[in-house]
Amino acid sequence: MKSKDIFSLMINPFSRIAGWQAFGLGLVIVIATGIICTFSNVAFDGVIDMHLTQNLTFVHSFEFLAIDIVSLVLVMTITGFIISKGFRIIDILGTMTLAKAPYIILAIAGYFTVSPDIKEIIKNPFIVFQSVSFIILTLLTIPVTIWAITLFYNAFKTSCGVKGGKLVVAFITALLVSEIISKTLIYKLM
Amino acid sequence: MLPTYCPSCQSQLKVKCLKCESCQTEVSGLYDLPTLALLSAEDQQFIHRFVINSGSLKEMASELKLSYPTVRNMLNEIINKIKAYEK
Repeated sequence: MKSKDIFSLMINPFSRIAGWQAFGLGLVIVIATGIICTFSNVAFDGVIDMHLTQNLTFVHSFEFLAIDIVSLVLVMTITGFIISKGFRIIDILGTMTLAKAPYIILAIAGYFTVSPDIKEIIKNPFIVFQSVSFIILTLLTIPVTIWAITLFYNAFKTSCGVKGGKLVVAFITALLVSEIISKTLIYKLM
Repeated sequence: MLPTYCPSCQSQLKVKCLKCESCQTEVSGLYDLPTLALLSAEDQQFIHRFVINSGSLKEMASELKLSYPTVRNMLNEIINKIKAYEK
């Protein structure tokens, strides 16, 4: 396989995999992410959010991920019904779950990160620059988030079969709404 | 591949003459090309395979090694092209 094909597959695997297959694979990766998060204290407290925390429980780790995926799938499905004539909900569910896969990188990276104490950061914000691993993790969140959002976009595009400006506007709106809903649910329920 | 557009001005071509290879009879006129003939070779191949697979998108996805929604989107694009030709 050529490097161009590998890159294409990395940003849009949904041309090859969707539906139940994507959901199965995505679920395995999400479960692995949840388990790693309990050891690395990385909380995915929002659809595109990630924070380092302390003493993250197994239950909370999975609750965060479940709320993220449910919010994302629900909002994308409703948006799909508005802008698309016909699509399968299982395609949205499967592709969106698989699109969360890049976040496993941050969960692993979080394990090797030494987070400065929050009280110390409040006193002196520049203290974060003393932790190299924290800076690396912060920088790593940028490409990983871009990759994940690209996957969300391609998942929505492939599942709903919509193109052009309508797709872009609907996707951005849906992503922002799902982020707000997930943050609100996590804040209210936790 | 049957030419469907004029190489000079890109207008849609019409059939002027048909010939019987058996008795050499020629039928002349000005006939419209069938809508499916206006599609690209790739799209025609897709429709051919779609019919062979009894119109099953799942079978098509399996044969082309593509996902179900990707194949459905390909079919939708062909449907839109046919609708545009028919207008």
